[in-house]
Amino acid sequence: MCEYCVQYGEGNLWYLNPRNHGRQLYRRPRPGFAPDAISYREERDKLWHEYFEAVADELPQAEELRLKLDRLVQGNEPCQVLPLTDCLKMVEIAQPIASMSCICRKYMRASDERSAPEYTCAGLGVGMFKWERWPERYRGGVHFMSRQEAKDWFTRLDKKGMMHCVMVYGTGYEGRPFVGGICNCDYPDCFELRHRLDYNIPHHLLKSHYVAMIDFNLCNGCGICAQRCQFGALKMENSRRKANIDMLRCFGCGLCENSCPRRAIKLVERVSMLQLKEVW
Amino acid sequence: MKAPKISIDHTKCTIPFDCKRCLQRCPQGVFWVLPVKNVRFQETNAKEPGAWKLTVQYRAFCTACGKCVEVCPVDAIIITPNTSDREEKHDRLS
Repeated sequence: MCEYCVQYGEGNLWYLNPRNHGRQLYRRPRPGFAPDAISYREERDKLWHEYFEAVADELPQAEELRLKLDRLVQGNEPCQVLPLTDCLKMVEIAQPIASMSCICRKYMRASDERSAPEYTCAGLGVGMFKWERWPERYRGGVHFMSRQEAKDWFTRLDKKGMMHCVMVYGTGYEGRPFVGGICNCDYPDCFELRHRLDYNIPHHLLKSHYVAMIDFNLCNGCGICAQRCQFGALKMENSRRKANIDMLRCFGCGLCENSCPRRAIKLVERVSMLQLKEVW
Repeated sequence: MKAPKISIDHTKCTIPFDCKRCLQRCPQGVFWVLPVKNVRFQETNAKEPGAWKLTVQYRAFCTACGKCVEVCPVDAIIITPNTSDREEKHDRLS
């Protein structure tokens, strides 16, 4: 169990607990609420920029800024990797579910996803009904999906080699993390992946509750899985002609498992490994 | 090793979201394009000058390969090596 499961899971994985999916539905606008949200975002973006510049110029305050940002992200917008099976379970809980364009790719590659077949990001919860207020945030529009449609959509993107992660947008009901979406990510055009892998902000993308394990007897060294790992954890051992997974580097996204034609890779629970249960 | 400095001339680079050449060419994904204009109930026009701003976000990963300078149609990007670092190295070599 990760720290969010301990606090908000109530015996389940935190993102599979329906209580973490609700904003207060009929909240009256509190005085000063919107300006607070906007000033928080401005403050946070300023801090990010300061940190990136400090890293680029090798300034001594970089480490301090890193810790500050990690704490900020931990309390407000943590993300976590999740395998396809958990995505499909979340589809059962969260309604409505809508696909939309990816904001990371919009910022980083100026991609302009304009129709349902192009969308790569999913928004969850009733908040999605308000998308028309800020069309630029949801550039290209949104597409509301039925449960089955959403499942097919996630499966299709998984096949394509996109890693899934669950996103939190601030706090919702009872101050809990508010599960707002599931991203389908790809390095380098994903904020969370970059901030975790390149800038070492662990709470911006926690590892999943699973790790991949390989059965060498079943692996025939076809190498299909090797091109799908986003984290540099899976490589082909050329001398043995087998795939090998570094479980300390593995984030447990399950992309390799889903691609293996011989089912040689299995996801196992992270907590079942003595040395990995505290590695997030 | 300090990252090179990248300067963008925003008087020349006015429609980065529509042009997007540097953003798509950069092997390291260093740039960001941000919608400066955010209006309620309205999607920002990609072709409106000044509505978008090209920024340098992940400068630590810039290799100064010069591809963005090469593809820029209006010559708005300038990359300069981090001079202090360069001098230091020069001292070490001499």
